[in-house]
Amino acid sequence: MTEPIAVLEQVSYMYPRSPEPVLRDISLEIFKGEFLGIIGPTGAGKSTLCLALNGIVPQFFGGRFFGRAVVAGLDTLEHPISAMARHVGAVFEDPETQLIATSVENEIAFALENLKLPREEIRARVKPALAAVRLEGTEKKHPAELSGGQKQRLAIAAALAIQPDLLVLDEPTSQLDPIGSQEVFATVRELNKELGVTIVMASHAAEEMAAYADRVALLSAGELTAIGRPDEIYADIELLQAHALRPPQVARTFFLINHGGILTSSIPVRLEQGVAELKALAADYPPAPPARLPEPPQRPGAPLLSVKGLKHTYSDGTQALLGVNLDIREGEYVLIIGQNGAGKSTLVKHFLKLLEPTEGVVAVGGADTRTITMSDLARRIGYVAQNPDNQIFNASVAEEVAFALKNLDFPLTEVEARTRESLEAMGLWEVRDMHPLALPKGDRARVVIAAILAMKPEIIIFDEPTTGQDYRGARYILEISRQLHEMGKTVIVITHHLYLMPEYAERVIVMGKGTVLLDAPIRRAYHEIELLRSTYLTPPQAVLLARTLDHDAGHDFKLLTPEEVADCFTGDHAGQSVGGAA
Amino acid sequence: MSMMRFQTVERDSFFTRLDFRPKLVMMAVLTIIAFVWESPFAGGLLALSVIVASLLVGVKPAYIRLVITVMFPFYILLLLTHGFFNIDQVKSLTGKTELTTLFMFPAGWPVIGGGRMTVEGFLYGWNVIFKTLTLTLVIPLGIFTTDVDKFIVGMVRAKVPYKLAFIFSATLRFVPLLFSEIQAIIEAQRLRGLAVEKMGPIKRVRVYAKVAVPLILGAMVKSQMLEVVLQSKAFTGSADRTYLHESVLTPLDYLMIAFFVLLLIAAIAAYFTIGFGKFGGPF
Repeated sequence: MTEPIAVLEQVSYMYPRSPEPVLRDISLEIFKGEFLGIIGPTGAGKSTLCLALNGIVPQFFGGRFFGRAVVAGLDTLEHPISAMARHVGAVFEDPETQLIATSVENEIAFALENLKLPREEIRARVKPALAAVRLEGTEKKHPAELSGGQKQRLAIAAALAIQPDLLVLDEPTSQLDPIGSQEVFATVRELNKELGVTIVMASHAAEEMAAYADRVALLSAGELTAIGRPDEIYADIELLQAHALRPPQVARTFFLINHGGILTSSIPVRLEQGVAELKALAADYPPAPPARLPEPPQRPGAPLLSVKGLKHTYSDGTQALLGVNLDIREGEYVLIIGQNGAGKSTLVKHFLKLLEPTEGVVAVGGADTRTITMSDLARRIGYVAQNPDNQIFNASVAEEVAFALKNLDFPLTEVEARTRESLEAMGLWEVRDMHPLALPKGDRARVVIAAILAMKPEIIIFDEPTTGQDYRGARYILEISRQLHEMGKTVIVITHHLYLMPEYAERVIVMGKGTVLLDAPIRRAYHEIELLRSTYLTPPQAVLLARTLDHDAGHDFKLLTPEEVADCFTGDHAGQSVGGAA
Repeated sequence: MSMMRFQTVERDSFFTRLDFRPKLVMMAVLTIIAFVWESPFAGGLLALSVIVASLLVGVKPAYIRLVITVMFPFYILLLLTHGFFNIDQVKSLTGKTELTTLFMFPAGWPVIGGGRMTVEGFLYGWNVIFKTLTLTLVIPLGIFTTDVDKFIVGMVRAKVPYKLAFIFSATLRFVPLLFSEIQAIIEAQRLRGLAVEKMGPIKRVRVYAKVAVPLILGAMVKSQMLEVVLQSKAFTGSADRTYLHESVLTPLDYLMIAFFVLLLIAAIAAYFTIGFGKFGGPF
């Protein structure tokens, strides 16, 4: 190891009004040129740790700080944040809030201007910083003209232009679509490997962290619970599970194989290692398909939601939908995937009558939506926005649930009955008098869903419910979607997190460039790997492992999850060893 | 979908290349002249010149149309109030004891019966319309034709405190985001089954007022986030900083400043000497 660029000695910290420490007794060395990943569930203290590295914690927030943090030779308590900013570049989660200038070059220049660098020096740094993140030629553009991934790369370029000793990135990909996320990870990796920039990155993206980080630090409830190489941390599945963290699927697959009695030499955490290991394993233990793979039920009858020849052109001439046809039947659980700009949101806005077709027809229960008012449609289709807080307007949970019913002039007895029924169904009866915003984020989404449920809709749409959530949060809301599905509702989910959905979705609609590229049962859709990749969607690692098995053994099992892949080796039906345990 | 954005003209001209300071002088001079002149003919000429200049430098006709459309009800109100009720001021400006009748409602009509619109009041209404039009259009003429960078540096060079210039620039960046957030919240309300279109105005206002709850909370979270971002970028609010963009006055800038100062002097001199721009005067 080289010399440390940052040293934290027994750092503990409490925000001014927090009852408990957010960081507890953290001792950590960050070495020059390394890529340190920070993982942990929401509330573990990851962001606070990131902010402690440039002195914003505690200098800006106040509160009580114990221990010592020295970064680039400067004690973070003794040097002003503006002095620390010369050594520590920071990139945050939200691409919108962190870009403050009105042009790309001004964004790069902003911190340099504050640091009083001469104009010529600033000019000299703009181009290389943009080149390092492959944004050359965008100098005069307004940040609003950039895609999400480009915005985050611009934020990275702005931090790089300072020529910092340390680049700290706090969840830089959590708001991005898969292309944006890939762009950011590729950029950070390049900066680290080729330019030797020291990186500290907090992220929930297990597969990418396992692939790119040199070391991973696991934070939980403010404590540094574990630190080590990715193959040490991510292979310890029980440790991750104990802290509500998701391992890379390849690691989980091998953990299950080992758990089933076949001991492998290691638990790989990167896909390429997993593929090699799986090939070797398959040679010794011929895989057998799992006894029964669940298939979605057939749903006959007339479609509940029908789209015929739908085209939509925005007023600026953008053709967002180029002729979409699809039918969704009662009781289906449909997943809609695709990049930003693929047409997903435009399509869903037609379901909700937020947009009118330029051409074609959208029908709900056989009725053309053009003949139905938006408020009548809202009784049939519920919509859960990505940010539930945008849908909360009232001072108590019960009022929130009753809000729309009252506005729709339901009789008072009906309002009370439906409110109670919804609150009970969503497990919110006990907190009915609380302010919705006093509840945790997952429960706030539950309040919005209860409010929607009170209108007894047949269809419920979840718009990117997992974006910006940790694994526990994402599963929490998807479990609610399962509950609603089991209640007989038709569920439509839009998400970029493909790995989360095999347990829930029955059918997948892949959108790209304003058209439906594929509409198939999930088991088939996830295995259309080339098609998914053509639209920059990465299938879950378990699917890629399954393809390896299929390819080598000439099967077509269409497996989706680590459990199914492991089951090929460890299930009762699995083949016997031909060469002994590995 | 396009997000609402600060408008800038796309056409490059000598005017867009000017420093912001001569434009600031231009805005100040035209505003003063618009206030001084009371003649609808002189005021109309001034408003027309501003419109023509705006179109020449590339302000979109749609924008000017929008301004006029939005202001139209206000203009009608101005014509009616001045035409019917502005008697004393118009008499004192024209020196007339009796005003000319343009038309009169028959005495038998309820409420408005006997109401009389005067030619002088009507013309004074036009004067006020042209004043407001000049004042509304001189801003896009000066601002839309200036690159935001030049604008901010120009403000700082014109001794506007840096914090104020920064707030202006941050507003340009964040106002469109705020609008898209308001849009998202209103959509969310409508998706909760609120038939806003069927509601009476009072209920509608009450429902819309609820937009403020998520909006303010969202803005609070964002503003703290923004503060953290600014801190991490070594922002202190101090004017003691450098600038990527320069603000240097060229001979053309000086020429324009001189032109507008002379225009102001000439306009005021003409007003007091030959009565140019006076209401009821020769022009």
